[in-house]
Amino acid sequence: MSDDTIHDEDFQARWNWGLWRQVLRFALPYKRLLVAMAVVAILTACCDVAVPFLTGRIIDEVVDAGTESNLFGYGVAFAVVMTVFAMCIFTFILLAGRIATSICYDIRQASFEKLQELSFSYFDHRPVGWLMARLTSDCSGLSRIMGWALLDCVWGVCMILGISTVMFILNWQLALLVLTITPPLLFASRFFHRRLLLTSRHMRKANSHMTASYSEGLMGVRTTKSLVRQPQNLGEFQKLSSTMYGDSISNALYAAVFLPIVITLCSVGVGLALWFGSGKVIEGSITVGTLVVFIAYAGHLANPISEMAQTLTTLQGAQASAERIQQLFDTEPEVKESGDALVAPQESIDSIEFEDVGFAYRDGKPVLDEFRLNVKTGQTIALVGPTGGGKSTIVSLACRFYEPTNGRILINDIDYRKRSIHSLQSNLGIVLQTPHLFRDNVRENIRYGRLDATDDEVESVARLVNAHDFIADLQDGYDTDVGEGGNNLSTGQKQLISLARALLSNPQILVMDEATSSVDTETEALIQSAVDRVLSGRIAFVIAHRLSTIRNADQILLIADGQIAESGTHDQLMRQRGRYFDLYTNQFAQDQMSN
Amino acid sequence: MRSSRAVWNLTKGQRHLYGGAAVALMVAALVGYLSPLVIMNTIDSVIGDKPMQAPQFVISAIESMGGTSTLVKNLWIAGLAVLVLTMITGFFTYLRGRWTAMASETICRDLRDRLYDHLQHLPVKFHDGAESGDVVQRCTSDVETIRLFLSVQAVEIVRASTLMLTALPIMAWLDWRMALAATAVLPVIVTFAVVFFNKVKVSFEAMDEAEGKLTARLQENLTGIRVVRAFARQEFECGRFAELNEDHRRKHMKLYTLMGVYWSMSDFLVFIQMGLVLFAGAYYVSLGEAAGGISVGTMVAFWSYVGLYIWPVRQMGRILADLGKAIVALGRVQVILDEPVEADADSPLPAKIDGRIEFNDVTFAHKEDLPVIRNVSFAIEPGESLAILGPSGSGKSTIINLLLRFYDYDSGSITIDSHELRELSREFVRGQIGVVLQEPFLFSKSLRENIGLGTHHSYDVTHATDDLLVEVASAACVHDAIMGFKDGYDTLIGEKGVTLSGGQRQRVAIARALLRESPILILDDAFSAVDTRTEKLILEDLKRRHGNQTTIVIAHRLSTLINADRVMVLDRDGGISQMGTHDELIESEGMYQRLWALQSAMGNETGTVPS
Repeated sequence: MSDDTIHDEDFQARWNWGLWRQVLRFALPYKRLLVAMAVVAILTACCDVAVPFLTGRIIDEVVDAGTESNLFGYGVAFAVVMTVFAMCIFTFILLAGRIATSICYDIRQASFEKLQELSFSYFDHRPVGWLMARLTSDCSGLSRIMGWALLDCVWGVCMILGISTVMFILNWQLALLVLTITPPLLFASRFFHRRLLLTSRHMRKANSHMTASYSEGLMGVRTTKSLVRQPQNLGEFQKLSSTMYGDSISNALYAAVFLPIVITLCSVGVGLALWFGSGKVIEGSITVGTLVVFIAYAGHLANPISEMAQTLTTLQGAQASAERIQQLFDTEPEVKESGDALVAPQESIDSIEFEDVGFAYRDGKPVLDEFRLNVKTGQTIALVGPTGGGKSTIVSLACRFYEPTNGRILINDIDYRKRSIHSLQSNLGIVLQTPHLFRDNVRENIRYGRLDATDDEVESVARLVNAHDFIADLQDGYDTDVGEGGNNLSTGQKQLISLARALLSNPQILVMDEATSSVDTETEALIQSAVDRVLSGRIAFVIAHRLSTIRNADQILLIADGQIAESGTHDQLMRQRGRYFDLYTNQFAQDQMSN
Repeated sequence: MRSSRAVWNLTKGQRHLYGGAAVALMVAALVGYLSPLVIMNTIDSVIGDKPMQAPQFVISAIESMGGTSTLVKNLWIAGLAVLVLTMITGFFTYLRGRWTAMASETICRDLRDRLYDHLQHLPVKFHDGAESGDVVQRCTSDVETIRLFLSVQAVEIVRASTLMLTALPIMAWLDWRMALAATAVLPVIVTFAVVFFNKVKVSFEAMDEAEGKLTARLQENLTGIRVVRAFARQEFECGRFAELNEDHRRKHMKLYTLMGVYWSMSDFLVFIQMGLVLFAGAYYVSLGEAAGGISVGTMVAFWSYVGLYIWPVRQMGRILADLGKAIVALGRVQVILDEPVEADADSPLPAKIDGRIEFNDVTFAHKEDLPVIRNVSFAIEPGESLAILGPSGSGKSTIINLLLRFYDYDSGSITIDSHELRELSREFVRGQIGVVLQEPFLFSKSLRENIGLGTHHSYDVTHATDDLLVEVASAACVHDAIMGFKDGYDTLIGEKGVTLSGGQRQRVAIARALLRESPILILDDAFSAVDTRTEKLILEDLKRRHGNQTTIVIAHRLSTLINADRVMVLDRDGGISQMGTHDELIESEGMYQRLWALQSAMGNETGTVPS
């Protein structure tokens, strides 16, 4: 599927009008502000045009009238223009700010909400950093350009029109001459702004590679040290920093060439005005003041042209951002509420049934095939078997993080696709092998399971899973910050906290995917008995390698190649002397022989 | 004072380029100021009939061509002069840009490399306490701030000052009263900017903070998206995000408002300055030169001059106010560079290590009074394997970390082949040990490179002798999994490639450690995500391949422990509670026996374990 590819930041030469029309819907609520901004932009351009013109008139006045000159009127006019000018500047910054920040807020919020809806398969293929960039740099870049583009364009066009009009009125031949620099200015501006944008993109990319390298260097520092890899790592990093150096230099060089070219082109205009203009002054067909106006305008032409070229280029560059954001909105969650979903949040879950369920991930490799299972409330189902056999998939399907590609899953005898996702998922308690804790204190992390839980409830559930003692030993007890991703704690401690979190939510379905793999066996046995007590009246799925964890399950399924290879209670399976028996005895019995 | 020295030190090695840039800047400024003089003379002496106002050699040159009348007949000369002068200015402007870019980019590249290398050589203790996000930020954003300062801000300040300083004498030469009028408001403009930005600094910081919080929340949500779903907390998360998003919008808007105030005010000040020149000029022109006034050309020249320097000067105020940021950034970077790197011993190295390890009364504490291990003494003979068992927090990994010289022990002694560990260089010690850490780290490279990373003889991983690679990968039971990927050993790991399961990562790390063929092998909970059958295969292979390798294994599972020659049991306080062979330990009361009983009971229940 095309929406599955991760686009790199490309510079697209082609305009995608359809895309912009879609993106512009975010600007729609701010129509009035945009109109106001256009008005201010026109006013600003008028002021810009008026200043050199006034200057010319003042010169003519003093040249003609000498000591008789009356400058008062001009003084008032100048003051008025300047005041309006300053007010315009204040207003358009405010307007652009209002538009940009509002659009930014809207897009960001909508994207965030969209992300909360999308299926796991969407996240499987996209690194967190990539997704974050959509909601940070893409959002702010796009909204900034949407706030400023209109202003820059209207102002630029009006200013060029204004300058041209005044010049034509003053002297059309001279106007034509001076305006000859417009096309090369436009061309040069476009050329350089494009190059500048491209090279700054390269810089950004190089910078993100360097950032990744720094962060990998830090994360892997123990491994690096244990392998004595420091010199090689530095060598690899130096390649990246040299790329950054090269890209920065070429960006700086383009900038260094661009400015001289612009001032040179402008000076061609000034030179032409001076050459032909002074002739005309000598002839008497124009005044000195008019000559000065022409010289000033020739110097001013570069501003609006360069500004507009830059806006155009930025817009073009923002197209990639717009596209990526639009793509996010266009993505349909694979698992979504069907229109006729039964909303029954209070209903208890009595049974889950897998009916000939097949499932394949996106790459097409089938994981499950014709899988059948019926679980009743109060039962604990243990899943064992080799890695990649499909254990976690079964659980993900039961939780409806994915939906079966074939067959059905029934909850209380109704296809769960016809039920509300929320009613199922708000009744889940899940503990994963690599538990994720939020960057907050221990208490809040446990409380995430049930937001209205009291401190006492948090503590008692921590006691239940044997976590209270180690938590109490932490520096600030329950108020200890767990660090990024919970990394201030050991894996075993994280597992205990996430188990407490899951139990606090009082789930109807509890999933423990290698939930206690890093907890020592003694603690684990204690937890096991506590969990067994809690589990009555619920459905539990337990995945574990350590067989002591799963011995008490009502039903043990040995999953291999997407199917149930063996099933039964521990005793039944041991009696079968099949694969489960092998697996189980392997764990410790082997050495008994030598005893 | 200290900070300006820090900046000065930074420019070491690039000062000639900066010097060249400064000269180019001055030339560009000077030549740039000549164009208005050409226009002035054209207006006054070519169009008008006043004597030329120019340096003597220019006047003589024009005289030799036939005087101003030649110029009147050839008006293109004036136009061309403007063009040529501008081109010269442009050329020197280019040189200035080129040289400052080269200098500042070189400085930053070296700074980045230095930071990277320094970080790699900082002790593990530093990395334990450091927050990686913050360190990365210092290496990237802060260096970027420094780069901006070196390549743009410092240059702009120098440029604005140079433009000012070169304009002053020329303007004074033309007319000192006008020169005064043309600079009167400048100090106000600069002061306004500096005062304003210092006053509103708080708002900028508030905005940065709001942005940081927003990003952090976003990251938390996305990395924990599975937890969010598992508890169906989408609405709660949206609400929390909206709060921060709104806060960010408000603070951002406040910034826009402040910028609106600043730009309109400072532009207004600029306009006042320009108006002053315009009307003072007009007044003096209207007086007539005879009555002490000035010529129209002079007025136009002043008008052009103001236009040339006023914008850079206005910008300078803003930059001056921003300088603090660069200094703060430099300070933050310097903090990292000032951290002492791992000290190392340089005593002569033993040629070969047999692998005898001895701990003698070793105590180690991260924090005073809270020893992680206390009075630990044990010895492992070459080729022997020792398993370590103990509850979490009992210091199992600490023993490994001490052995790898990640930390240095406080008291007691650790020896390898009777060499005191402290006296051996860290690199040497680590070179003797193949280790699989508790949470093995794989680099975002190909599998081939990841496994090959460990070889200390210069083993060329790109053209790896595949036999060796396949051999260790097979021994670690990961060869089949690797061949299952489309690109086999060339499959990339990480964001751009495949994501390995916990067990696969551990097995790749085991293969990596095996390839090192070191006298000592350490497996720190290396099988926790590997199923027991696979684990057994690996352990058997290990025994066969490396019978002479001293092995330390940390594990929770009996199946792992049982393969070791001896087992050491640590207690919660970091002391050794038991030590012995499997047979000895199941006879004496303790953790090992309880563990054994727990698992035997399960076996006996079903009658599968022959007694």
